[in-house]
Amino acid sequence: MATGRYVTDLDVGDVLGPVEYTLSSFVIREYSHIVEMHHECFQGADGLIMPPTLIHLDKLRLYNAACPEGTGPTARIHYEYDAEVFAPARVGDKLSVIGRIKDRYLKKGREYVLLEMELTNVETGELLVRYRDQVILAYAQKPEASA
Amino acid sequence: MTLSLEAGTEFRTRPRAMTRERMRWYVDGQPTIGADDGRVHTQPPTIHDDDEYAIKQGLPGIIADGMISTNWIQGLLIDVFGPQFACRSRLSTKYIAPIYENMTVIACAKVSTVVVNEEGKTVYHLDVWCEDEKAKKLTVGAAMVVTA
Repeated sequence: MATGRYVTDLDVGDVLGPVEYTLSSFVIREYSHIVEMHHECFQGADGLIMPPTLIHLDKLRLYNAACPEGTGPTARIHYEYDAEVFAPARVGDKLSVIGRIKDRYLKKGREYVLLEMELTNVETGELLVRYRDQVILAYAQKPEASA
Repeated sequence: MTLSLEAGTEFRTRPRAMTRERMRWYVDGQPTIGADDGRVHTQPPTIHDDDEYAIKQGLPGIIADGMISTNWIQGLLIDVFGPQFACRSRLSTKYIAPIYENMTVIACAKVSTVVVNEEGKTVYHLDVWCEDEKAKKLTVGAAMVVTA
């Protein structure tokens, strides 16, 4: 188990979370605002639904819970986003997110980590979003033999 | 919303410059959203808002967070499909080239297939990407949306 310290320590088999929270209108509007999605369903007065991409910030909730000492010696670079939405999340929904490290590998001198996450509605148990996130742990390359 | 789109139909946003401000909005948005207390929060220097830190990490300067281009693609898909995209869909993106300060970014989507599923709902599959002003691809991916 490589949780408990840095994000750069995470390894295959690690489980992050679950973390529970209640979805607020502030979170939906603020996220949509910073990425210039000015649609009524994200920034209106009511009836808001979660932009699917907001699942990416749930990754930070998991990192904060599982890696309390922060990023580590190098900055991560996001490489791949892959989110499937099965049902919408709405303001006031109590949500639970859990993550699992599915792979960590070296490719062309850079370390990649694959995290798979699931977002569920706590009250109904319904799976809302499944997300696969791949990051590169450092921009600088290193010899493959050192992996 | 009633849609009738054919394979080959293409959509694109207006060109936008990936300015320093746009990069910083995303940086500051993350702790602000995490705190969820209605106030603005900031975070320590990142490769997306601090040149000195980015250079120390081996980069030539700050680069845009990949989620910005993913969100610009998603915004285009919401323009086309409406809120249903946030109800039953899939979006995959891969960042194949870094986006540096002031580069032009255009989000694009092209319908690849249209099928009717067992429930009688129309399912659209699309190729999606972001390109610069010379049509060089920066972000590539695919999307799926099931209409209501």
